[in-house]
Amino acid sequence: MSKPRIGIFSLTGCGGDQLQILNMEDALLELLSRFQIVDFQEGSSVHDTGPIDISFVEGSVSTKTDLKRLKLIRERSGVIIAIGNCAIDGCIQAMTTSEAELKSNLEEVYGVKDDFFDAVPSKGIGEYIKIDYQIPGCPVEKEETLNAIISLLHGNSPLEFTYPVCVECKLNEYPCLITEKGLPCLGPVVRAGCDARCPGLGLDCIGCRGPTEGGGNVAAEYKMLLDKGYSKEFILNRLKVFSGDVNESLLEGI
Amino acid sequence: MTRNIHIDEVTRVEGHGAIDVVLEDNQVKSVKLNIFEGPRFFESLLKTQVYEKVPDITRRICAICTASHSLASIGAIEDAFKVKNTPQTELLRDLLIHGEMIESHALHVFMLALPDFLGYPDAIAMTEKYLEAVKMALECKKAGNLIHSTLSGRDVHGMNERVGGFSKIPSTEDLLTVKALLEKVKPAGELGVKLFSSFDLPDYNESDNFLMAIDPGERFGFLGDHILTSDGNRYPQKEYQKLTNETVVQHSYAKHSQYQSKPFMVGAMPRLILSHNTLEGAAKEMYTEHKDLITSKNTLSNNLGQAIELVHSIERGILDIDALLSNGLKDEPIVDFEVYKSHGVNAVEAPRGLLYHDYTFDDNGQITKANIITPTAQNVYNMEKDIRVTAGNLAEKTDNEIKSALELVVRAYDPCISCSVHVARIK
Repeated sequence: MSKPRIGIFSLTGCGGDQLQILNMEDALLELLSRFQIVDFQEGSSVHDTGPIDISFVEGSVSTKTDLKRLKLIRERSGVIIAIGNCAIDGCIQAMTTSEAELKSNLEEVYGVKDDFFDAVPSKGIGEYIKIDYQIPGCPVEKEETLNAIISLLHGNSPLEFTYPVCVECKLNEYPCLITEKGLPCLGPVVRAGCDARCPGLGLDCIGCRGPTEGGGNVAAEYKMLLDKGYSKEFILNRLKVFSGDVNESLLEGI
Repeated sequence: MTRNIHIDEVTRVEGHGAIDVVLEDNQVKSVKLNIFEGPRFFESLLKTQVYEKVPDITRRICAICTASHSLASIGAIEDAFKVKNTPQTELLRDLLIHGEMIESHALHVFMLALPDFLGYPDAIAMTEKYLEAVKMALECKKAGNLIHSTLSGRDVHGMNERVGGFSKIPSTEDLLTVKALLEKVKPAGELGVKLFSSFDLPDYNESDNFLMAIDPGERFGFLGDHILTSDGNRYPQKEYQKLTNETVVQHSYAKHSQYQSKPFMVGAMPRLILSHNTLEGAAKEMYTEHKDLITSKNTLSNNLGQAIELVHSIERGILDIDALLSNGLKDEPIVDFEVYKSHGVNAVEAPRGLLYHDYTFDDNGQITKANIITPTAQNVYNMEKDIRVTAGNLAEKTDNEIKSALELVVRAYDPCISCSVHVARIK
């Protein structure tokens, strides 16, 4: 059987998810020997325009050029795996949610009114194309990514974490940062899979793996942090960083 | 006759950039390095964020320079609130920035730059003939990442370094594990210098380059509070705007930086040329041996410059760990400081050159204004200058020959295009 043809692509983002693939130093050569790389702009000059069995796509759609590239990738690819939060829900740059805000940012940042840029509000790739699998994280975890690739090579679906960071925090027996230190930890509403790394270092979770399955009970988190003395603006700011627009209707009646 | 030389997408660089050159009767008519990575508006996103979590946002500007952004961001906040750090914090940060150089330089020197010189499309293809060298390079990169994960919490977008110190102090055992790996990868650093000093460097891009780098003080490094320029000046970091006049150009989301209306270069070659007298140990010996090959006229010498810095950072990492352990590791808490209406600036050398973060805060420690200037944004104008010179000198060659040369030239800057789309404020 010939080796699966893979592509590694990035749209708008920090490049961290494909860097995490390169960061699997011990497994990298063995892993890549199972595949034929046909397109990987950041790591190789090979540029084969033919069909691809599996494409890994990181980054958000933030320009019309991103969208054009994404559609071409979809046409060429059998399976598409969104790697990292930018590709899943737009991540940090999705804090800019509206056309109006985008225009004012362009004007403020570049000092221009003319629309010579082709920027669009940042969104995950699933808004535009069908994605087959997703690996969350900002950045993705190396082990989770490696396990996902191995599962796919064996014809299985990658494991998904459907519970919040709180579960992993408890399993590690870390002291609760909310109840014991009053910190604005987002562990209750954020997807697990990081082994509660930040609470393990004494730091409150900032939500870099995105909302947990079904979005989590954001209203209860919000109310709890209000009770701890945090302002509405502070809490919404915190929630927004990794989950784009926070739906304020969730908070009605609190 | 008009010829259009077009490179869709420069490969083996971080982010997305295209090159367009128009030649008319073998004269260069126009040159564009078109940055089409999308804008992310970090400076706008930072507004109303409270200082404490600002570095958690800004380190996500770039994955390869995550610690540089984190430290520049923390440094600007500490400058604003006059935070006095402990000597242990300073040493841990020095170790962290050297870890970033090891991880990033090992990736660029061996996996992105080297394939050109050995005639391969990528490092994976090189394994058929150079398997041991590729394995050494990966192990070297891993040593840099081990410093990241030990001090910062993970390889990319760590979180443990904070304003005023470290949330959790690494253990003696952890630091000794890092030291053992650094000792083991010393030969990889030396291999990089050996390889890049043996290649014949093309001269088609030779031209004058104005250089800038941080003043590292008495010992070569990447942190400091003054900027050195190749006309012999030294500026306090607060005056960075004199050095980085930015203009918006229509073909790019990266603004062009100019010093006195001219392009300039930041990165490994400028750092070595401006501060080589502060080098120590093996890196000093190697620089002395090869200094004729590191010339300000040829930006391709940045590759060898990075290889020498790799040797430096491996040795310095070991020295930093020795100093931390001989001082006795202390389980220090974050230092106390007060938050007030203020303004702060900090410069750090990222692997690819000078990086500035500049914040203004209100009484509650919320950002009211932010400005971030990345190394690649500063280098873009100089890269266009190099593209112009190179295309002019090679105008009689075939399109493919010109294209390979242009990619080689751009790649030597180790550009980080995601970073360059940095979106600074204009008043």
